[in-house]
Amino acid sequence: MRAKRSDYTHLMSLPALGLFCTFFIYPLVRGVGMSMTDWDGMGEATYVGLANFARFFQDPRAMGDIRTTLIFAVGSTLLLNFMGLIYALLMEKPFHGRSLARVIIYLPAIISPLIMGYIWYFLLQPGRGFLYHAMGFLGTTFPLGNWMSDYPTTMAVLIFVNVWQFAGMTMIIYLAGLKGIPVDLKEAAVIDGATSWQRFVRLTLPLLMPAIRINVVTNIIGSLSVFDVIMSLTEGGPGYATESLSIYILRMCYGSRTGYSTAVAMILFFIILLPVLISIRLTKVKE
Amino acid sequence: MKEITLIKGLRILLLILICLMCIIPFYVLLVLSLNAPSRVFYEGNLFIPTFAWSNFADAWEKSRIGTAMVNSSVITFGTLGLTILLGGMAGYAIARRYTWYNKAVFSLFIGCMMIPGIINTVPLYSLMRRIHAVNTLWGMILVCSTLALPSAVFIYTTFIRALPRELDEAAEVDGCTGMRAFWQVIFPVLKPATASFVILNGFGIWNNYAQAAFFLQTRDRQNIPQALSVFFQQFGGAKWHLMSATAVIAIVPVVVIFLIFQQQFIEGLTEGAVKG
Repeated sequence: MRAKRSDYTHLMSLPALGLFCTFFIYPLVRGVGMSMTDWDGMGEATYVGLANFARFFQDPRAMGDIRTTLIFAVGSTLLLNFMGLIYALLMEKPFHGRSLARVIIYLPAIISPLIMGYIWYFLLQPGRGFLYHAMGFLGTTFPLGNWMSDYPTTMAVLIFVNVWQFAGMTMIIYLAGLKGIPVDLKEAAVIDGATSWQRFVRLTLPLLMPAIRINVVTNIIGSLSVFDVIMSLTEGGPGYATESLSIYILRMCYGSRTGYSTAVAMILFFIILLPVLISIRLTKVKE
Repeated sequence: MKEITLIKGLRILLLILICLMCIIPFYVLLVLSLNAPSRVFYEGNLFIPTFAWSNFADAWEKSRIGTAMVNSSVITFGTLGLTILLGGMAGYAIARRYTWYNKAVFSLFIGCMMIPGIINTVPLYSLMRRIHAVNTLWGMILVCSTLALPSAVFIYTTFIRALPRELDEAAEVDGCTGMRAFWQVIFPVLKPATASFVILNGFGIWNNYAQAAFFLQTRDRQNIPQALSVFFQQFGGAKWHLMSATAVIAIVPVVVIFLIFQQQFIEGLTEGAVKG
């Protein structure tokens, strides 16, 4: 009955596989070869071995980009999870207007990070932004001053905007995790006389581990390839100070340094590989 | 008792502050978009604009956001349609015929699910140029579909696996397999999986910028983020009234769709989170 000769059901994964291999796997594999050439995107390519990689690690701009990317990713991931968890804990118990609050807090996450960056640019542009005027009205000056000339503050602003936008997303996942904690476990802990802090550390946090892992892994991978928000808020500036690796790849590609930009993409790939491997493990466990 | 009401009050206060913090940037954007071009320093007050509605007509015309909206719609619906079809078919094959090669296909998709598109964009660009797909909507649909496909395959496979086997077995006994069984038996019940796929990927495709920056560079093929970034760079930070009016036009459709479907949306996300 099964697998008759006319039954091609088992081959119905082929179209998806074909598309994926053509536009994802093939470029990925080809990128390995391209990263070892000096190709400019048009003419002949010459094999240069690992010269592109050597050049990358000697380029102060590239090293700055790695630093920016890592600081952004670690800072965003920590804060996104911290804020998302706090939001979720505040939202856990039902109250009037809870679903409205959830919609409002989630709203920024659906909007293009590029546009979100522009909106914050209107709020925060040194001397001209809305918040500068608002502070002027209140008779004080805006505490960030000329933040765009100061690397740590600029990074803090970029991370803040990213966290502001996506904390609602981590919140939703933590809310789902909190919902999954059995009520009788919580009640038992209350009867045993555990303080609310003890209950949080000993009961809630361990049971939230799956949600924490999902959030941390997706946040790290997402923010390591950050592109949009930096493009709109600082364009990678001042100079190349806040340029991320993704932006560097695009600019090198535009600058006809195709071979070199694929090498940079390979390096970014290796940086992202670790969290990706962890995420695959997590998916496998769930199967 | 008193302490409890105090904590409760504090909690509500904090939530109100958080909500305000989420809303105020949008309100400021709206104010900016309605300020007359000459109103530079918010004379008099900050929160009430001068209601210069003409900003919107002006912005609409100068930014070509209308064309970009059409392009974004074509890309989003095209991508969703293609991935739902290919992902659904693949999910059916993997869930019901778990042969060694379908096992391998499934592992391949899961393995690549989290790899961001920027990793292979440069070699992909040279491929796209060779097949004349740069600056075309169909090319962008193929690129976006490829990036969304792992997620679709994963969602559909998991969903179809959980469907009772009797559902399609009966059809198979009657010799109904392959595409016919897929369309007549499987596809009609895929709605919840399709909904969660669209919820998880729809806005991301609509908002795509990292790929659009490479593949949609001509003015008549730009999607919304690409059009905005070109428009903004053109003014180099001046003309905030036009820039913010364009931004308002760009986010209104997204916000409206989100508000209409917010119930299903948040439920879908919550379920997605539980299932992983």
